[in-house]
Amino acid sequence: MIRVQDLCKTVTSGAQELAILRGINLEIKAGESAAIIGVSGAGKSTLLGLLAGLDNASSGAIYLNGQNISVMTEDQRASLRAKHVGFVFQSFQLLPGLTALENVMLPLELSGRPGAAVKAKIFLDKVGLAERGHHYPRQLSGGEQQRVALARAFAVEPDILFADEPTGNLDEHTGQRIIELLFELNSGSETTLVLVTHELPLARRCERQFVMHDGILSEEFHRESAGSQGRSALGTL
Amino acid sequence: MKIIAALRNFSRAWRGGELGLLGFSLCLAVVIVTGIAGFSERLSGAMTQQSHQFLAADRVLKTSRSVADDWLSEAANRGIHTASVVSFRSMIAVGDDMQLASIRAVSDNYPLIGELGVSDTAFGEVELVGRGPQTGEIWLDSRLMALLNLAVGDEVGLGEASFTLSRALLSEPDRGGMNEMLAPRAMINTRDLAATEVVQAGSLVRYRYLFAGNAEQLDAYSVWLTPQLNAGQRWESLSDGQPALANTLKRAEGYLLLAASLGVALAGAAIALAARRYGDRNTDNVAVMKALGARRRQILNRYIGQLALLAGGAIVLGGLLGYGLQDVLFGSLRGLIDIEIPAPSWRPFAVGAITAVVSTAVFALPPLWRLSKVAPLRVLRRDLADDSDNLLSSGLIGLVGVGLLMWWYSNDLQLSGALLLASLSLGLLAAALVLWLISLARRLTASRSQGALRLALAAIYRRRFANAFQVASFALALMALTTLGVLRSTLLADWQMQLGEDAPNHFLINIQPNEIAPLDAFFQRHQLSNAGLYPMVRGRITHIDQQLLSDIAAIDAGSGNVNREMNLTWAKDLPEDNRLEMGEWWPKVSLADTDTIPVSVEQDFAEKLHIQLGSVLTFDLGGQKLNAEVSSIRSLDWSSMRPNFYFIFPPESLEKYAGSYITSFYLAAGDKQLLTELLRAFPTVTLIEIDAVIKQMSTVVSQVSAAIGLVLFLVVVCALLVSVANVQASLDSRLQENAILRTLGASRKLIASGLILEFAAVGLLAGLLAALGSNIALFGVQRWALDMDAVWHGEVFLTVPLVGAITMAATGWFYCRTVLTTPPLLVLGRL
Repeated sequence: MIRVQDLCKTVTSGAQELAILRGINLEIKAGESAAIIGVSGAGKSTLLGLLAGLDNASSGAIYLNGQNISVMTEDQRASLRAKHVGFVFQSFQLLPGLTALENVMLPLELSGRPGAAVKAKIFLDKVGLAERGHHYPRQLSGGEQQRVALARAFAVEPDILFADEPTGNLDEHTGQRIIELLFELNSGSETTLVLVTHELPLARRCERQFVMHDGILSEEFHRESAGSQGRSALGTL
Repeated sequence: MKIIAALRNFSRAWRGGELGLLGFSLCLAVVIVTGIAGFSERLSGAMTQQSHQFLAADRVLKTSRSVADDWLSEAANRGIHTASVVSFRSMIAVGDDMQLASIRAVSDNYPLIGELGVSDTAFGEVELVGRGPQTGEIWLDSRLMALLNLAVGDEVGLGEASFTLSRALLSEPDRGGMNEMLAPRAMINTRDLAATEVVQAGSLVRYRYLFAGNAEQLDAYSVWLTPQLNAGQRWESLSDGQPALANTLKRAEGYLLLAASLGVALAGAAIALAARRYGDRNTDNVAVMKALGARRRQILNRYIGQLALLAGGAIVLGGLLGYGLQDVLFGSLRGLIDIEIPAPSWRPFAVGAITAVVSTAVFALPPLWRLSKVAPLRVLRRDLADDSDNLLSSGLIGLVGVGLLMWWYSNDLQLSGALLLASLSLGLLAAALVLWLISLARRLTASRSQGALRLALAAIYRRRFANAFQVASFALALMALTTLGVLRSTLLADWQMQLGEDAPNHFLINIQPNEIAPLDAFFQRHQLSNAGLYPMVRGRITHIDQQLLSDIAAIDAGSGNVNREMNLTWAKDLPEDNRLEMGEWWPKVSLADTDTIPVSVEQDFAEKLHIQLGSVLTFDLGGQKLNAEVSSIRSLDWSSMRPNFYFIFPPESLEKYAGSYITSFYLAAGDKQLLTELLRAFPTVTLIEIDAVIKQMSTVVSQVSAAIGLVLFLVVVCALLVSVANVQASLDSRLQENAILRTLGASRKLIASGLILEFAAVGLLAGLLAALGSNIALFGVQRWALDMDAVWHGEVFLTVPLVGAITMAATGWFYCRTVLTTPPLLVLGRL
């Protein structure tokens, strides 16, 4: 589903070259859930951006659903996202001018799927906000906004869902409820989940856990290989 | 489906409240353009219509013989209205008293345009009527009634016929030149003409055929008629008959178009600012949409669709409001002018629509086009720089767009070029000066400044690129205001000078030498100021340097101005308002010692006839030859309403040719009864009332200046909108900055002073640039568009920066109030 080969990202800052990602290799199968953790500036978000095709790599290749997105144009990558990818962001990123319902309808409309409104209502109902469809983001609490964002992400029934610190802007209790909702929605689908976080409870819910350190990615835990008794190495972090 | 989707997108975007300012700016541009275009079109239509009253028609055919009937029937077939006027001189008889009168026999539908001023008593209250006398009636000039001691109802004889005097004739729309006014007017109906038996074969009679219709009909008729005209027949339109008036109208029209162009440039700047803000506010939305899979084309369709709907709405709403604005403008003129305004046409609406489309394309589209290039990575990294922001290319696109619009409005490449050149130099100067200011601000902040000044300088530095744009656009607004303001006062002063309050409004001619002393006494008794008495001898110039005038190839001898009898005078001193351009006033040579007497020639006439100092001119004075050598060349003001002469001779040189005297004087409207007394005392003197002509011209001037004042007001509205858009564009970042400052403990007073200082500095700089730019623009406009002398206006370097600083500080303060009143926590919570 997701395959990454020798991925490097270098940025130029003044006269200096700064390597953010140094030769990342990764393979995540369809339906798996994976967490990428690491300290600030380790390159987590950069990797997520590259995986989702939001940016170009300096070298290496990324395959989503068997297609090499590294050779695609920006529009081709956008089309791929519209069909196969969902997103959840730390700062929710709801469009302030649109109601909750319209925010959920937006990706459905962008990919030209019929019955956007009906489907959006179903997913708002799933996140428990059926009654709040006509409210604007500013009229919703942080937790409610993130629930709308979850509904928006799952409404297109994506093959892959990327989440960037989905609980980062929420208090612990609300964050916990969002995590529950995220995995609840995910369990009903075959969606591959890739999330960047520094919340250990969230990372532990994932089948695979990677640590990003100074531009290098290493796998710390794989539920399948660790067996049912396996303990997350993250416990020591 | 697509339309429904576009409408849905639009309604969502509109609800977001961010399209409001953009739509408002666009709508205002359409309102102003539709308003000004419609107003100027209809006003100039009305003024042209009114000035056609000077002809009493749209076109006039002048001829010394009656024309073939088929010329008139052809005009009738083409839907053109016609009327005829037959003019000749004859004696009016009342008992044994006789007076020479200039008679007009007019057809029933005379005048085709305009009205006749009549009264029931001589010099009485004017009543306007749309047609001339009925058969059996005669209307007489007030002074003729005074001379013959007549009242309405009396019997008057003309030739073999007898008429009832039914009205005093006070004014005619086409009273015509001085020659026609030498004798007082009498008017009868054409159908009575034959009965008078005055017009016989060989009589000196002039015919005027009047034509009125629409422009196409008249142009087509012109094409048909012109080849058939012989040398003695003249086909005249307004510009042929009244060159001074035609020039005034042309100036006014150019001026209104100029204002419209500047209004659009300002509205364009506001649109660009609003679109920029809209683009900035949508950057994150676009990044989210792209992350969710939107392609660039989808983004473009979405925003171009919004713009198209916005422009469509602005066209409809702005067009309607623009029509409303025309009515408001005419409404405010109603007390000032007394003319019929033509009905509105579709053209201003089209002008507004095209302006909206072009403005949207050149001002609003570039920022939204840039939006489609936003990197989707922004959803993860908000700090991602937006490097596609290219002010230079946006500015150039806007400049070209405005230039094309100006060219289209004015249909004058030179005029729009001069304005655009001034704008461009202003823009470049603004950029250079803002850069200079930034380095200065840096140095000041680093060393001496503190408190509010430091904040203001830091704010200007932080927004240096936005400030370059802000200064340039505000400078453009101020430049427009300054240019219009200075031009308005210059034009008015120009006209006021021509038509001064106490300019002479009556001419007296045919004054005999023995009447000079009693006339002077009359003037002194009634305290009437006069322009002085000038002797006058009629003469024709025949040779220049012994060469027959008609043989000089460079001179158009057929031109009526050259080959006609002119008034010659003599004077000891140079007349007050004449200026010696070349040579000297009467050389000290005794006239007895030479055959050739000196003569002073008017400058324009000298140029026309290629006369130079030392040229010998030969005159024919009633059959006698006179040689004169040009000793000086003078310039003078023909519109001064004083007796002016092409040729002035030394005293005593012309006395043997015998002549009469001429003078002009000012008489207030309330003193008209003095005229009767004057005419009784000097029955052979001829009176010409110029005040009627002056009044007609004053009306035009007051219409024009009132229109200019209103257009000026519209440009002020535009300029204010630019300022508002400027301030609003920076509001988001200001809210953030000031929230942080206040969190760090800065007082409201400090932030408020900082804000005021910052805006005042921007206004001051813009004002300085505007003063410079307007001087450049004024030079171009006065020199090439209005055909006036260009003058340097130093005073604007003091007033405009001051006004700029105050206006900008006030506007900035008003729209930035929220920065101070919004709690910092609320702002920081949104970050």
